[in-house]
Amino acid sequence: MADTLLDVSGISAGTEDKPILHDVNLKVGAGETHVLMGPNGAGKSTLGHVIMGDPTYKVTSGTITFNGQDITELSPDKRSLAGVFLSYQAPVEVPGVPLYSFLRSISQMRPELKCTAREFRRRVGAIADELNLDQSFLMRELNVGFSGGEKKKIEMLQLLLLQPKLAILDETDSGLDVDALATVSHGIQRYRETVGGALIMITHNTRILERLTVDRTHVMVKGHLVAEGPASLIDDIDKNGFERFESQAAGEGDAR
Amino acid sequence: MADENATVVLDRVNEPPAQTWNRLRANDITLTVPKISRKGDVYFALPQLFSRLECGMGEKVTDWVTSQAADARYVEVRAGEKRTEPIVVAIDTDKGEVADTGVMVRAGASVDIVVAAGGTGAAATTSASLLRVVAEEGAEVTITEVVGVGSSQQHLESAGVDADDDARVEVRQYALGGGTVAFGTAVSLSGDRARTNIALRYFADGKDHLDVNHVVRQRGKNTIAHVRENGILDDAAEKALRATIDLVHGARGSKGDEAENVLVFGDDVVNKTVPVILCDEDDVQGNHGATIGTVGPDQMDYLADRGLSRKDAEALFVRALFEDAIINAPETHAHDVAVRQAERVLGAEVAHDFDASALLAADEEA
Amino acid sequence: MTKERTQVADVDRSLYDFTKSEEGYERYADGLTPDIVRAISAKKDEPQWMLDLRLKALDEYHRRPMATNWGPSIAGLDLDHISTYVSPKTKQASSWDDVPADIKDTFERLGIPEAERESLAGVGAQYDSEIVYHNMREEVAKQGVVYTTIEDALHDSKWEPVVHEYFGTLIPMTDHKFAALHYAVWSGGSFVYVPEGVSLDYPLQSYFRLNAQGAGQFEHTLIIVEPGANLHFIEGCSAPKYYEANLHAGAVELFVKDGARLRYSTIENWSKNMYNLNTKRATVGADAKMEWVSGSFGSHVSYLYPTTILAGDRSSCEFTGITFSGATQDLDTGCKVILNGRDTTASVSTKSISKDGGINTFRSSVVVGRHADNARCTVSCQSLMLDNISRSDTIPAMDVRNPTASVGHEATIGRISDDTILYLMSRGCSEQEARTLVVNGFANPVSKELPMEYAVEMNNLIKLEMEGAIG
Repeated sequence: MADTLLDVSGISAGTEDKPILHDVNLKVGAGETHVLMGPNGAGKSTLGHVIMGDPTYKVTSGTITFNGQDITELSPDKRSLAGVFLSYQAPVEVPGVPLYSFLRSISQMRPELKCTAREFRRRVGAIADELNLDQSFLMRELNVGFSGGEKKKIEMLQLLLLQPKLAILDETDSGLDVDALATVSHGIQRYRETVGGALIMITHNTRILERLTVDRTHVMVKGHLVAEGPASLIDDIDKNGFERFESQAAGEGDAR
Repeated sequence: MADENATVVLDRVNEPPAQTWNRLRANDITLTVPKISRKGDVYFALPQLFSRLECGMGEKVTDWVTSQAADARYVEVRAGEKRTEPIVVAIDTDKGEVADTGVMVRAGASVDIVVAAGGTGAAATTSASLLRVVAEEGAEVTITEVVGVGSSQQHLESAGVDADDDARVEVRQYALGGGTVAFGTAVSLSGDRARTNIALRYFADGKDHLDVNHVVRQRGKNTIAHVRENGILDDAAEKALRATIDLVHGARGSKGDEAENVLVFGDDVVNKTVPVILCDEDDVQGNHGATIGTVGPDQMDYLADRGLSRKDAEALFVRALFEDAIINAPETHAHDVAVRQAERVLGAEVAHDFDASALLAADEEA
Repeated sequence: MTKERTQVADVDRSLYDFTKSEEGYERYADGLTPDIVRAISAKKDEPQWMLDLRLKALDEYHRRPMATNWGPSIAGLDLDHISTYVSPKTKQASSWDDVPADIKDTFERLGIPEAERESLAGVGAQYDSEIVYHNMREEVAKQGVVYTTIEDALHDSKWEPVVHEYFGTLIPMTDHKFAALHYAVWSGGSFVYVPEGVSLDYPLQSYFRLNAQGAGQFEHTLIIVEPGANLHFIEGCSAPKYYEANLHAGAVELFVKDGARLRYSTIENWSKNMYNLNTKRATVGADAKMEWVSGSFGSHVSYLYPTTILAGDRSSCEFTGITFSGATQDLDTGCKVILNGRDTTASVSTKSISKDGGINTFRSSVVVGRHADNARCTVSCQSLMLDNISRSDTIPAMDVRNPTASVGHEATIGRISDDTILYLMSRGCSEQEARTLVVNGFANPVSKELPMEYAVEMNNLIKLEMEGAIG
């Protein structure tokens, strides 16, 4: 295994009313691709948000180490600057803020990405082309009135621009038509090739994984990581579903 | 000796919590009402706690009603009781009746309250109902007010409700016309998670004058208020509606919305709308809207395709409003008021046509 | 980090918060008497009708009560201690070199001469009660455009009858108490006349600076845009911070004739001891268009509702406004629209932001007259609450008297959602940056309507307000 980039160790977390994650352990090495699967409501997205530092969820125990640094207590912006990226299932609309100036400011915040206006223009233009995004999109307001597919492309645009060490893609493939799916998966591949960053794919759908080399697969049920295995686990789930894991989780529940 | 013709002027009636330019003459209404002296008489009064309730038409009307109404009526619904028989306040406006009612709905109880005010409309009279309701924790209260009076009559319909934690207050109002009709409704969502829906439907024509003041105070946390007013104005009717959503400091997580939809049919109509949101808390959502106009071009085109002229289309909307009032009247007094007004506006044939369908529907349900 | 913020705040405040000595100025006694009114009129060597109008207005002022059932308190305003006339010892200049050094320095710091060189057709600059600088590009003057002070117009035999015909007709002195006060003691302001069919490529701008402490500014702006003509007029206002109440009670009368177009942009950044009781009104002829762009940032108390009377058939107006209310501010702003012509259209879009205990009230009225067949009006109003010690009220009123009219209103109040903040933070913005970004975006529909340098100024003001309060 490559050097550990992300180490989620014994994390339990939830909202004020109810616990969601129970003693989750997950290690991701630099440059690795992991897949996180599980039935609806298993807590997959919650784990993504907890790694990002979403204050909606309270961490009740455990630590998150990223790139050798304990980030459990860091705010989301600090985690972002440290190299964590979360692609949202439903990216938020921010009226009045032009996409281009937003991209420019989040890029200038990172010393390693600072560049001249001209250079920036070129870079963004190139990435937009890569994603089949019309340049006119850049002048529109951030996510406002964008279709689901367009929003996901804008997430990919930010991913390629910010070049994070770890990208968590939360159902980035959901609700996309065939063309958009192809573009998004092209974006993910470009990220793997050009940035070489690590990836956690949260997904139901195995199609988007076809063109990726997956290092590890994790299965989450009811807030527990119940299984971990090689890429072949995906095929297994594809054929047999989550039933086996669910009954296993239920069994564990009974044992307690 | 009471002077039969003595009157008193009540000014600043139906005044909302926040006002605007006086020049618009939309801040309040001034009413002249009879004054019977009851000096020396001792009447049954409501328990003191009711006097603390804010009522929609304001204190002057509350004081006037309590001084005119002779005995007040107090009803208590016991904790947990699901009362099936509605509490009915029937007002014969021809006689200028004035009612003062207080209802205490104890924790977890539920009740229907009906105010029905109407008459044949021959005499020039003033009638009034003051209804005050305390809804304790988890109580469910449905208030239906149906008012339709004659063109020379005046009716004051004031209500005040206080809702504690998890209480639900449904208010359904039908203002079906009359010389001067004033509705004032104040609901205080004092407890956490208290909810209210207020729905007013109104029709005014001729020289009718309708004045409405809706006030919802959202005080508890996570309260929800939903206020809808839909009405039709014809001929030279005048209407003023003030609707206030007050998001009081501390009402964290509360949501309030209000919307009025007015159809204006008459050339000489005067329609005034003052929707207000007061917001003293950041973690809340307040919305309001108003649309004022005639039957929309899209609707009109569609209806024209079905063979309706503009006049037919307008009549259709008026019919629908009365039909709604008749079908949803929860008991006979309210039903009679709605039918009587429908007869006046639409003619007996049409009015009884709905009535028959309502009966059929009721039979089918039974 | 904290240090950086303070620096930003300091830099920005110094832009407005500097004062100049009043030594050697002509300052009339405080309070309001016929003698003061006569003295102002005599100083200006006015025609008799104007003095009569002033004295009548003074009467009206003393007679009229303030409405007590609505609006922010003006209890802190003691008119017996407001000087109604303060004049620097200088004559009006048409070259900045002829303006006294300290006053010139003031306007230079505010960037007025620079803007004039780059993007304006003409500039007027008022300092306390008098205009100290007035100039217009030659090519504009050649087209017959007049841009001067009302005082100068009154001394010109060609324009005196025009002023007499229009002055005080759109905003009558009986309109409200402070309109009466205005007519009694008005001084300075602008007279603009754009002849038929003339279209100005660049805006005209008037800048009002109130330097004197405990004083009032009562400028009168009278603009006549003849049929088919086109003008963009910009008004800027600022004052240094004092602890004594200052008063601004100007009046703006705009006559937009048939087929003409007028855009009136304002960025108001009075200091937070200012009572801003300004009255603005436009009457719009057939097929003509009135556009208002209004940004209110300063003042302690504001009562400001630019009014548009759509008198002509097919006339239209657009109102775009933003109000930012911070600590110690109680700003009651909005607009009024009166639709009288047939097929008239009005669209109102406003935003307000409340922060640090600031109070915002959006107040509007839409009145559709009996004869306004097919009149259309939409009002949309969004309020943003940035904390739970501030307040935001929305009080619109509609009065519709025509069955073919259509009037719509919608308003929302809320705060920035946690989701939005989280999304922006997950891309590296600090919470502070995220909030500033969202607020700037919220204000964007207004700033994009402003000339570039004003849009920049507005963004800076927002940034200052957003950053200044933390820590």
